[in-house]
Amino acid sequence: MTAAWAMVRHRFASFAGTFVAVFLGVAVVAGSATLHLSSRPQAPARYDQAPVLVTPPDPGTGDDRDRQSWTSAQAAALAARLDALEGVTAAVPDPWFYVQRLDAGRPTGDAQASLLDGHAWSSAALGGYRLTSGRAPTATGEVVIGTTAASDTPSRPSSTKTTSAIKTDSRPSETDRSDKAPQGTGKESRASTNESTSGTGAAGKALITTPNTSGAPTNGSAGSGSTTTGETGSGGPGNSGPASNSTGNGGAGNGASRTRAGTATASAMGTVVVLTSAGPEEWRVTGTVDGPGFYVTDRDAAERASGVQVIGLTVSGDPQRVADAAGAVVGAEGVVRSGAERDALEPGSITRIRWIGAQLLIALVTLGAFATVFVVSSTCALSAAQRRRELGLLRAVGATPGQVQRMMYAETALIALLAGLLGAPAGMAAAPLLADPMISTGLEPAGFTVTWQPVALVGAIVLGLFVALAGVTAAARRASRIPPLEALREAAADPRAMTPARWVVGLLCGAAGGALLAAMPSLPLATRSSAGMGAAMLLLSSAALLSPVLIVPLVRVVVRPWQGTPTGMLVREGTLTGVRRVASTAAPVLATVGLTVLLAGTVATIEVATGIDETARYPAADVLVPDGTPGLSAAAVTAQGAHPELTTRLLITHGDRTAGRSATGRGDALALDRLSAGELGAGVGDTVTIRFVDGAETKLPVAAVGDETSIPRRLVRQHDPDALTGMLVLRKPAVAVPGARSLPIHEFVMEEIDQEGRLIDLFLVALIGLTAGYTAIAVGNTLLMATAARRGEFRALRLAGAGTGQVLRVVTAEALLAVVIGAVLGGLVAVVSLVGVRAAVEDEIGRDIALVLPWGATAAVTTVCAVLAVVASAFPLLKSRGTPA
Amino acid sequence: MTDHGTPAVELRAATRTYGTGERAVTALDRVDARFEPGTFTAVMGPSGSGKSTLLHCAAGLDRLSNGEVVIDGVPVGGMSERALTRLRRSRVGFVFQAFNLVPALTAAQNVALPLRLARRRPEPGAVAAMLAEVGLAGREGHRPSELSGGQQQRVAIARALVSRPAVLFADEPTGALDAASGAAVLRLLREAVDRHRQTIVMVTHDPLAAATADRVLFLADGRVFDELPGAAGAERIALHIAHAQHTVVAR
Ligand SMILES: Nc1ncnc2c1ncn2[C@@H]1O[C@H](COP(=O)(O)OP(=O)(O)OP(=O)(O)O)[C@@H](O)[C@H]1O
Ligand SMILES: [Mg+2]
Repeated sequence: MTAAWAMVRHRFASFAGTFVAVFLGVAVVAGSATLHLSSRPQAPARYDQAPVLVTPPDPGTGDDRDRQSWTSAQAAALAARLDALEGVTAAVPDPWFYVQRLDAGRPTGDAQASLLDGHAWSSAALGGYRLTSGRAPTATGEVVIGTTAASDTPSRPSSTKTTSAIKTDSRPSETDRSDKAPQGTGKESRASTNESTSGTGAAGKALITTPNTSGAPTNGSAGSGSTTTGETGSGGPGNSGPASNSTGNGGAGNGASRTRAGTATASAMGTVVVLTSAGPEEWRVTGTVDGPGFYVTDRDAAERASGVQVIGLTVSGDPQRVADAAGAVVGAEGVVRSGAERDALEPGSITRIRWIGAQLLIALVTLGAFATVFVVSSTCALSAAQRRRELGLLRAVGATPGQVQRMMYAETALIALLAGLLGAPAGMAAAPLLADPMISTGLEPAGFTVTWQPVALVGAIVLGLFVALAGVTAAARRASRIPPLEALREAAADPRAMTPARWVVGLLCGAAGGALLAAMPSLPLATRSSAGMGAAMLLLSSAALLSPVLIVPLVRVVVRPWQGTPTGMLVREGTLTGVRRVASTAAPVLATVGLTVLLAGTVATIEVATGIDETARYPAADVLVPDGTPGLSAAAVTAQGAHPELTTRLLITHGDRTAGRSATGRGDALALDRLSAGELGAGVGDTVTIRFVDGAETKLPVAAVGDETSIPRRLVRQHDPDALTGMLVLRKPAVAVPGARSLPIHEFVMEEIDQEGRLIDLFLVALIGLTAGYTAIAVGNTLLMATAARRGEFRALRLAGAGTGQVLRVVTAEALLAVVIGAVLGGLVAVVSLVGVRAAVEDEIGRDIALVLPWGATAAVTTVCAVLAVVASAFPLLKSRGTPA
Repeated sequence: MTDHGTPAVELRAATRTYGTGERAVTALDRVDARFEPGTFTAVMGPSGSGKSTLLHCAAGLDRLSNGEVVIDGVPVGGMSERALTRLRRSRVGFVFQAFNLVPALTAAQNVALPLRLARRRPEPGAVAAMLAEVGLAGREGHRPSELSGGQQQRVAIARALVSRPAVLFADEPTGALDAASGAAVLRLLREAVDRHRQTIVMVTHDPLAAATADRVLFLADGRVFDELPGAAGAERIALHIAHAQHTVVAR
């Protein structure tokens, strides 16, 4: 519609609010979506030369912790059959195991990634890795070591950091141990170890203490304070996490190893001290390879690994044909993956990190969209009210109500499109800048790079368009009802502030939000945080819609002290006759203050609650926890005079039912937890089939049904040689061992909470920053628009004898009044929501907790809003001072 | 465009009350009036006598409380807002005292607006010709803010005439203009009647302006109080006004 375009061009100022809102919204969405879409699962680089991968069949338990394996023998047999296929150069099983290099007694590298760092030498071919020096390992105790870092991250051009320097001085490992002793010179090194790797606690704890609940990606969303770490063994953000320490950048291992890079040369063959699930070992280095990892003989690897989960095929010819042929050979024994299906082999630890990042990105997108609708609807309402006369004229000249409505939509669509076309590229351009911070805060895996995502670009623009149109709906409908005679009204009198629609929608939103809050305690844990957010958004919308009703009494109360002064009188009358305008200004303040109080308050309340909760629960004992490692080695545990408490995953089959369970190695018979027993329909005396992680199967009678599933430790050791101990409660003073540290339980728990808290704070800063930044701009813009439109009024005031200072006083007082009203209403709504959140938390932990109000954050955002409001309302006035009356 | 015998606009017992109860004001009180095709009628009366209300109701910009308005043979009483708007933009032109033009649009765009809204493409040159007719050739690209008050009124008249409406209403079109510009606007209206048999109904306070019309209707207190031929001259018209005011005061 040409009229729409002309309007937009002519009155761009009055569309600036919509423009800015959509621009920002689209930028946030485009940036977040770009980051999100760039963060795809990717097959590990060590399969780069294996276009076809075969994995064991899915156990079908629906839990991604359950992996079926082949035994070494099964894998070898299958590999032999695959090897015979035409087009297959080699079919190589890839058994992997935990290995981490010890440098001066300190484990190096990323703890989680090290779980997959040990390989069979033959599997080096799958990544196309070749010897760069020396020879292949031929005997147990020999190893070829990789010369690139970032053990298991996807290939990326920039991952050229070198690591795994070889120890050339071949110090005996005893020296390493003594270094760790908490006395003498070792003290310093020990302290720094603690500091630089404190993040790994979460992962270690998760290995052993994690309850057997839902899979990772259902629990805990942004800013809610619910647990986002330590769900599965794949480890929390701590691994590469926000542990601000001397190495600065997370992925602490990388940082550390980078400083010692590049000593690997063929002439310097020696030994390397590593930590495995058994304990510290010293291996002879026979060569180096141009890829990451440790490569031992195939036999050695088969013994160390808990089964085989991948057979890689190197091919000559068309991979798809090979994949089809392989499918026929494999049948039900496995799944053939080629092309994008290979990406499912991403290590769980990386998936986990990406999942946490995705939570933040999703929250940003949601909040961005909400803020856009909020701001667009309030600026559109204001601009429609300001344009009543013009719209009336259009009606008089022959525009039908439908045409006026369509024109409003067309204008907004134009603006939104324009804003989107600029905002989306801006967001995309900003996305790569966020990649590094996201990696260092543990929100994306190391090696994460932002790629060109056209879907994000187009999607963000389209979303911006729809969101803007949704925002303008109410204003457009209202505008279409403007009678043609409105064109004759000199000064557009402020139309009725409350319309029936506003009442209805406002009350509905309020009721829905209230109902959601009331229902919180009965909702499943995982959905509570999103429910809380949803309730807050509904209540805030409701407050914004109903605010005109409250503005009148509020203004009367607030202005009372200054009633006698001319400024007071003018402010009072100006505000009371312009309720709609005040509501428009107050709305963004309301949203900002409301969301800030709610987000920060929820987190603070939950943090206090968790603190009480966690510290109260633990006895005053010391624990041995992993230190820079994903778990405790057997040697670390036996050194304490204890038996390693091993956990493993079992696939238990009874009849035609199969369940996946975490089991502890204990006692000398099989015990089932009640839940599995029920699920499997198995009772004491029944014989069930157990499939271990190494692929071996055995039949065992159920000896007991109790709280926990357990299986003889001997069997765990035998079938899960790679198993690690999560943590160990100490009964006597700790013996220092590599890759472990001891500390009082409650300190460990507090460390965990801090870890989590740091991540939540990060979420909080991002979310509040977004909302506050967003709505602050809206406040500024609304006032700019409102004051600009009232220039005539102020001119009249000046002609009537008011000095510029007086007019300024009136204007800024009005602006501040709007801010105060917004802040009060927003604060009220947030407190109501907070009470609901608290009720839910109290219900969850079964104890009364205090409501913590984030005064600091609230004061900060209110001040920002106030400053912006004053500047924005004074600016057009000062600018117009020169223009003739 | 209009059939013989059918008036361009007809009001039957037209009544318009504003407000309710104590504060109810009857702006039009059972007014009957016919405006024949090709005639130029002036409506006069004291302030508050209901002239504007009469015009708005007759033009379909406002609705009657009672009675009937028939525009070009079509009764508008039960029409939907949409249908009424469509009727208005094809059969009715309107010129207000001020603020006639959409500030965002150029003179030419303003003139073409009713056609555009009706999804009709203006014939090539038609808009320019219309502007030339009101003496604004070459000003097509100017925005309202770049035109004088008189020029703006002429653009408004051009716009009102461009769709060749059955009737053109003008509410004090010269009220805000100086004598010379006002005379130019009146000449324009007169020419439209003489050349194109345009029906025009114009509210004015100026007896001189009223004298250019074919017929003058006098309104007082919401009723048609008297009528004179325009040819009666400005002086007699002025006397009538004074009389009308006198009557109102006397009541
Ligand atoms: N929207 C309205 N609401 C209430 N009363 C109205 C409204 N419009 C007009 N009136 C009243 O109706 C009566 C007629 O008004 P109208 O505008 O038709 O007078 P007028 O003859 O055009 O006067 P003027 O010469 O001053 O323009 C007046 O008493 C006026 O107060
Ligand atoms: Mg009038």
